[in-house]
Amino acid sequence: MSARQAPTLPIRNRKSTMAQQPETRISATTPRLDVAHLAKTYGSGEKSHTVIEDLTFTVDAGEVVCIVGPSGVGKTTLLKCLAGLHPASSGRASIDGRTISGPPPEMALVFQDYNRSLMPWLTVRKNLILPLRHLKLPAAELKERCDSALAAVGLSHADNQYPWQLSGGMQQRVAIARALAYRPEILIMDEPFASVDAQTRFDLEDLCLKIRKDFNMTILVVTHDIDEAVYLADRVVVLGSRPARVLKVVDVDLPAPRDQITTRSLPDFARQRTEVLSLIKRPA
Amino acid sequence: MKASIRPYAFSALGIAGALVIWQVLATAKVAGNALPPATTVFSTLTSTLGTGTFWSALGATIGIALLALALAALAGVAIGLLVGSFESVRYATLAVLEFLKPVPPIVVLPLAVLVLGPTAEMSLFLVVFGCLLPIVMQTVDGVQGTDPVARDTARSYGMREGEILARVVLPSAMPYIGTAMRVAAPAALVVTVVAGLLGGGPGLGQSIYQAQAAGDYASLYALVIVLGVLGLLFQGATRLAERRVLHWHESYREVVP
Repeated sequence: MSARQAPTLPIRNRKSTMAQQPETRISATTPRLDVAHLAKTYGSGEKSHTVIEDLTFTVDAGEVVCIVGPSGVGKTTLLKCLAGLHPASSGRASIDGRTISGPPPEMALVFQDYNRSLMPWLTVRKNLILPLRHLKLPAAELKERCDSALAAVGLSHADNQYPWQLSGGMQQRVAIARALAYRPEILIMDEPFASVDAQTRFDLEDLCLKIRKDFNMTILVVTHDIDEAVYLADRVVVLGSRPARVLKVVDVDLPAPRDQITTRSLPDFARQRTEVLSLIKRPA
Repeated sequence: MKASIRPYAFSALGIAGALVIWQVLATAKVAGNALPPATTVFSTLTSTLGTGTFWSALGATIGIALLALALAALAGVAIGLLVGSFESVRYATLAVLEFLKPVPPIVVLPLAVLVLGPTAEMSLFLVVFGCLLPIVMQTVDGVQGTDPVARDTARSYGMREGEILARVVLPSAMPYIGTAMRVAAPAALVVTVVAGLLGGGPGLGQSIYQAQAAGDYASLYALVIVLGVLGLLFQGATRLAERRVLHWHESYREVVP
């Protein structure tokens, strides 16, 4: 990611003391998101169960980083620690040097199970409004945030429908719009496109890249799809199986803007997906 | 058109059949004077509908049942949310609640009459007692059935626990609460009548008791018919309300993708 531009949308989820980051941030020594020796163990004593052993990686401002690894490796546990839903057992995760101890106001999380994360009793627009209520925004701004978020995912026409009246891909776009309306600086997605068909998946991947460009967001995506990780990411964090640890961080040097047809047919694309795949397939 | 008329036609046929059987059995005096013929009961019903005492008794019954139902719903949902949300409250109360659940209101009736007398308050107390616990238990189930992903979503957006309870957990529990209310509404009516019949509380139960004491069986059955119709109305109204409140739930959705 080259020089950081001023965000297209102002960031106003106060509570955070963080000012808008100067351009020097990119090369600064403090990364946006810093995961250092993070470990997570459930239970205690003999019944204890270590899901994450020792994870260290960073995400810089404006980057798209994908985390891949075998299924059941503890990727979701990692995201829950990052989102402040579960405390880490040891080590720490921090945003701009501040340790995450609860849900960070500058972060939004998109779950894989859109049909469980969207509220079926609320219309699309009310789903978007639900997490914004406690920010006590003026009505005009609330409306503007919802309108622009829905427009960004191409669902302006669906705001009065209920999530269950929409297709799977549209529901996941509603979940993404809800995150956008929250105006996060860091967007975290947990296997966001795993439950949709292949064509919708491509569309949602491009939507993800468009969001990064339009809103200048830092995006962390957990996926089990290696092609998807290479297509989306600036860097791919490859996790090894349980308990989770980082095998390697692969820099993806594919040209921008990425395109589903041309990017995926580049020899470099094949080379890098092979690199990631062989890391995962390699016997421990 | 045919398909929509058929069920009603069969219902009418069933009702007519039941009335004919009643009439035949009553005319044959199978139960002596205790079962008057349908025709007599309906003509008594017509004259009963013209009296002021009947309407005030009907009003009392409906008023007590509805007020008690509303009180039980408010208290039951509030208690259920507390019990379901906080482990300590759950451990402190669950044994007592489980113990009280199978106790029928009629068992408490002597105590209620002794303390409150044959009053509307006594009836109200009994109905609330009978309806409260099922609503509490269903609400607790609903709270615990809330999808953890929905809760995590709300928490990840920085929503506070109180807001999550009101805006995520309570709506999630509504289908459970709806079921409880559908069961509680007819039960409220039944207990109101029992309180009148056996405890002397005001309303149709008391009227039935008086008719029975006077040996006026035609009036007694006329009142029973009124009660039956009232029960159907209660059931219909709760179904309608449930359908409106839970229009988003799987079992009521009109548009399926």
